Amino acid sequence: MKQNGNVIVTEELTKEYADHGVPVHAVRGVDLTVKRGEFTAIVGPSGSGKTTLLNLVSGLDNPTTGRVWLDGKLISEMDGRHLSDFRRDHVGFVFQAYNLIPVLTVEENVEYVMLLQGVGEAERRARVRELLATMGLEGMEGRRPSELSGGQQQRVAVARAVVSRPSLVLADEPTANLDSQTAVALIEMMRGLNESSGTTFLFSTHDSRVMERARRLIVLCDGVIDSDETRA
Amino acid sequence: MHIPLMMKLAWRNILRNKRRTFIAGTAIGIGLAAMIFTDALFEGMARYMIRSATASFMGDAQIHREGFRDTYDVDLTIAHLDSVVARLDRSPLVRHYAVRAMTFAMIASSRNSTGVSMVGVDPEREHTLSQIDDAIRQGAFFAGDDARDIVIGSKLADLLEVEIGDRVVLTATQARTGDLAQELFRVSGIYHFDIREMDEGMAVVRLRRAQTMLALGASGAHEVAVAFVDPSVAQEATLPFWNAFSEGGNEALGWPGLLPQMHTILRMSNLNLAITGAILFGVVAMGIINTLFMSIYERMFEFGVLRALGTRRRALLRLVIMEAASLAVVSIVIGTILGLAVTLWIGRVGIDYGNIEMGGVTIRDRIYPLLQWSQYVVYPAWAFVLTTLVGIYPAFHAGRIPPATAMRRAM
Repeated sequence: MKQNGNVIVTEELTKEYADHGVPVHAVRGVDLTVKRGEFTAIVGPSGSGKTTLLNLVSGLDNPTTGRVWLDGKLISEMDGRHLSDFRRDHVGFVFQAYNLIPVLTVEENVEYVMLLQGVGEAERRARVRELLATMGLEGMEGRRPSELSGGQQQRVAVARAVVSRPSLVLADEPTANLDSQTAVALIEMMRGLNESSGTTFLFSTHDSRVMERARRLIVLCDGVIDSDETRA
Repeated sequence: MHIPLMMKLAWRNILRNKRRTFIAGTAIGIGLAAMIFTDALFEGMARYMIRSATASFMGDAQIHREGFRDTYDVDLTIAHLDSVVARLDRSPLVRHYAVRAMTFAMIASSRNSTGVSMVGVDPEREHTLSQIDDAIRQGAFFAGDDARDIVIGSKLADLLEVEIGDRVVLTATQARTGDLAQELFRVSGIYHFDIREMDEGMAVVRLRRAQTMLALGASGAHEVAVAFVDPSVAQEATLPFWNAFSEGGNEALGWPGLLPQMHTILRMSNLNLAITGAILFGVVAMGIINTLFMSIYERMFEFGVLRALGTRRRALLRLVIMEAASLAVVSIVIGTILGLAVTLWIGRVGIDYGNIEMGGVTIRDRIYPLLQWSQYVVYPAWAFVLTTLVGIYPAFHAGRIPPATAMRRAM
């Protein structure tokens, strides 16, 4: 019942932790369902629990109470090893500060997850080249992240997130470090990938231009979903 | 886990902060170089001490009648000497040997008298086995065929106030009867070994003369000193030679049995080296752990990202261990070059120990470190294994941090 066409289902999800001894209720009883192919933005002020919620639905963090289903699997009760493998095969990540591996080239960064998956070299190379071309990064395969602009680095990060064809891409403030033009271009690129491949995108943002392009907007406030609006 | 990828990552991570890697690698390398050099120096010193003790007069091994070494009893001559000598002639292990007759005696000049160890030697055989002929400072080592020639040490000559050509009288107890025998000799050579016992307490005469004086007969002798083709076999406790020549009341002993105090000192040296190595590595290990932790904390977010992308905890643990191994490789290159350079340099100039005495051996000459291939295999291998093992602690720490925590801590 939980997995009927849904990529994410959470049930009474809460997360509490201590910050220098002070208890913090980051997420409080969130029930969230994200359908396959959605392009959803989570918005809210700083400290509203956006990043914590993304961490919980991707299995990067364990909920204090509640359950999380991802692609029909109850990930909140998986052990570490199975969760690692599950994330590798089902989830792609884009981080605010790009967070490419600085000692790997663009090509190596993008193919990293496929190497973990054991994808053969020929297929790896083909997928990486095709994707880098789509992202406008041809000719940059051998460059290190430090040799790229912020926008280029974030495009590489998006390529890394989608190259293994995950069912869900989570992006935590992906445009926060980009100028407005680059930010719009990146979000259009992500939306294009969403439309062409049907990959589900769930991202947190403060950026109004990004919010405008989201098909569904979830507003989080003090760890609780304040509003949930789906646009035409 | 994709091993080549992890190795590539580890190696590039190590080269990421070249200065830190160089400093950490140099610290470990200095420890390694110190071990290589200390081992080479101990080996050089051991070789020198063994050679000093064995080559000067003692030989690599000796055969005596059982009990002779404790009592110096003139009656305790080697049993079946002819057979012993014949078997020594046939033994492929033996390079040279020299038969000796010896006893306590009183030596007197016109000015003074003292007790000495009188040793009867065959000059021809002694020439090939001991260095007493090389240590002659005045006169010669039995140059002619005068049966009354006597060669004494420099300090004994000073004590007796004699010079080349002066007469001395030896008095000793004869075998079996216990009668006193007295013979007149003429000083024909004075040697100087810089070994007090030999320079002050030994008087050397011809073997045949000693046998006659002590009433031993032509086949009576107290000691056979043996030099092996390969001197190192003298340290082998299970060498069949010992049993083969320890029969009929005789006992054959290598230098470790003849100089147990020196053998103990050399064994203690190995223990000292091991303790020094353990302390040195303990200090270096803290440095490695510190370096790896600094590197890990700097890259905390990166570890979080790797874990988020699906890298298993164990793979991350392996990555940090591979980084420790890569650091070990850098350290080994630095340490080996440094160790070799210092060993070669000291090997040219030597170290002067200023005539100190250790285990009954006076270190008169400069000590030169002895370079051996094993020093460049065993110690680097240990450095690699231990550095890699030390990496397990920070690696375990890195692998244990949940990805969300790693990313939160880094921010």
